[in-house]
Amino acid sequence: MSTPALDFLLASQNSDGGWGYAQGQASTTEATATTALALQNDAAGDECYRRALDWLRTAQHPDGGWGLSHEDDESGWETAWAVLALTRVGDETGALDRGVNWLSAVKRLQITDDELQKETREKAGIDPNLDGWPWLPGEATWVEPTALAMLALGALPPTPAILARLNEAVRYQHDRRCRGGGWNFGNPIMLGGSLPPRAHPTAWAILALARVAPETIQPEDVTALRAEMQRDGGALALAWGLLALRTLDQNDEEAAARLSAQQRPDGGWNQNPYHTAVAILATQGHL
Amino acid sequence: MPNLHLTRRTFLRLAALAGLGVSIAALEKTARPVGLGNYLRWLARGQTQNLAGSPALVGLGTCPSYDDDVLGCLRDLWRQAEIPDVSGKRVLVKPNLIDVIENHPTTTAPAVVGAVLDLLAEMGAGEVVVGDGPGFRREAWPVVEISGLAAVLAERKIPFVDLNYDDPRPVPVRDGWFRHASAIWLPRHVCEADLVISVPKLKTHHWAGVSLSLKNLFGIVPGARYGWPKNFLHINGIPTSILGLYQLVRPMVAVVDGIVGMEGDGPLFGAAVPHGVLAAGADPVAVDSTCARLMGFDPQKVGYLWLAGWAGVGQVDRVATRGGSMEQLRRRYQAPPGGTLT
Repeated sequence: MSTPALDFLLASQNSDGGWGYAQGQASTTEATATTALALQNDAAGDECYRRALDWLRTAQHPDGGWGLSHEDDESGWETAWAVLALTRVGDETGALDRGVNWLSAVKRLQITDDELQKETREKAGIDPNLDGWPWLPGEATWVEPTALAMLALGALPPTPAILARLNEAVRYQHDRRCRGGGWNFGNPIMLGGSLPPRAHPTAWAILALARVAPETIQPEDVTALRAEMQRDGGALALAWGLLALRTLDQNDEEAAARLSAQQRPDGGWNQNPYHTAVAILATQGHL
Repeated sequence: MPNLHLTRRTFLRLAALAGLGVSIAALEKTARPVGLGNYLRWLARGQTQNLAGSPALVGLGTCPSYDDDVLGCLRDLWRQAEIPDVSGKRVLVKPNLIDVIENHPTTTAPAVVGAVLDLLAEMGAGEVVVGDGPGFRREAWPVVEISGLAAVLAERKIPFVDLNYDDPRPVPVRDGWFRHASAIWLPRHVCEADLVISVPKLKTHHWAGVSLSLKNLFGIVPGARYGWPKNFLHINGIPTSILGLYQLVRPMVAVVDGIVGMEGDGPLFGAAVPHGVLAAGADPVAVDSTCARLMGFDPQKVGYLWLAGWAGVGQVDRVATRGGSMEQLRRRYQAPPGGTLT
């Protein structure tokens, strides 16, 4: 791990134990969970790591889920982040089990009308019956929250119920794949026109499939990811893309150099603990 | 069996009562999606606006290319539209930075954002920031760089804020447009701004019909809370979400970049229309309605504009344009796919 990057993370931890999306901002579940994952193997960050886990446990809602922050009382997609972080530690408080239960039971928008189902298949090119995950309960399902839930549930000891959800999620991601490989946000076509892949959903989908069903990842998906990393060029796209590639034992030296060049003198990326944590994870090569 | 004797007067009274009952039932059914209270309040406000409201002013100007005097044109529009004083105010300038896609003019041109910033400086605005929270980008900064906006901001030392991650906080909803939420999380810079200037691209949109200053407000909703895309806005209904967000960011000014517009498959894959027009005003509903007309569309067929006029949120038809001539500046844009404008 890059020491300046670690120093940036340690210095930017909030007094409540969490991290925000920028130094000094209120702690959020995604930034705190990602940073905890980046710190988990580093002895220098032990105390910060313990406090981060405490922040996550106290941010959990009575329904078992997590929201944006301590102040947010609605549970949503952030739950998968918290579950993923808590799977790395022995959890005697039951927080992990409650989180898994929330994640397993979250409701999505169901299209039951036959005509609307047909229209969805035609206009969006998807099978609306496949079960993925929404950003917030009751909404439509999307590639990214589904990938995140796959990463979280895939890190748990497999039970028949979890395996069933994961198998369906693999079919879901396959159904949402863009025609030339990679993933857009939710559907491969819109009103008859093909949608292009994008770096972030493609990186997350590859990470999720690499954990659950690596044999389903196609060479075109990796090619699309590399192209989109270059096209985007931002720290997040490069870091998530590199992490996905390294999970597949691949690399992109040009992308790595571009990411490295964006590191600031303070050791972080964009003064953003979340960006910095993802960059560290990319260096480590695993989530 | 009792002997019922129905007089003509009793019959007419019963018929009137039945008619009233049927009318109330029909009204209740019509109003059910939004609530009877909201429906009646919006209806009354809309009627009042149509009968007694003042016409809204919209400035229209010709500016053939981004290399022309955009600032001079904008200065004229600001005066013609009688936009209120901004001196000392904290201002958030909100361009449309949805994504950069080669050969598709998806984003507000940096030259127009730069002209807005220069005009704000001339008028003595206080703290000014530029921000957006794209619905299809986890990080906005690459769009700022690739579009050329980064250089414009650096030259003027104006910071950019990624509104998807800007320390969001809950803001109580207003006016009943978000029926299933008591609060909407909004970015810090939106909450703290004295004025939001929406600076969209003039373009079509496959769901909303047109994407102008009010649809541009989808970019103030933080993805960190609501995801990418911000699906709760679709679930709530696009027209109602547009108007609900507008009620949370007032006061607001609209400056529309129509120097090069986009037709057809907007908001991402449409074709460029060299149009050479800028529009501005302090009533975004009036500005958007005017821009819909500039594109050759009837604003009454654009869902959120019809609703805005009906509910008295802003002027759709009682609009006085100043500067350029509507007849000379109007084009006929290709409608978006999906049948929203047909």
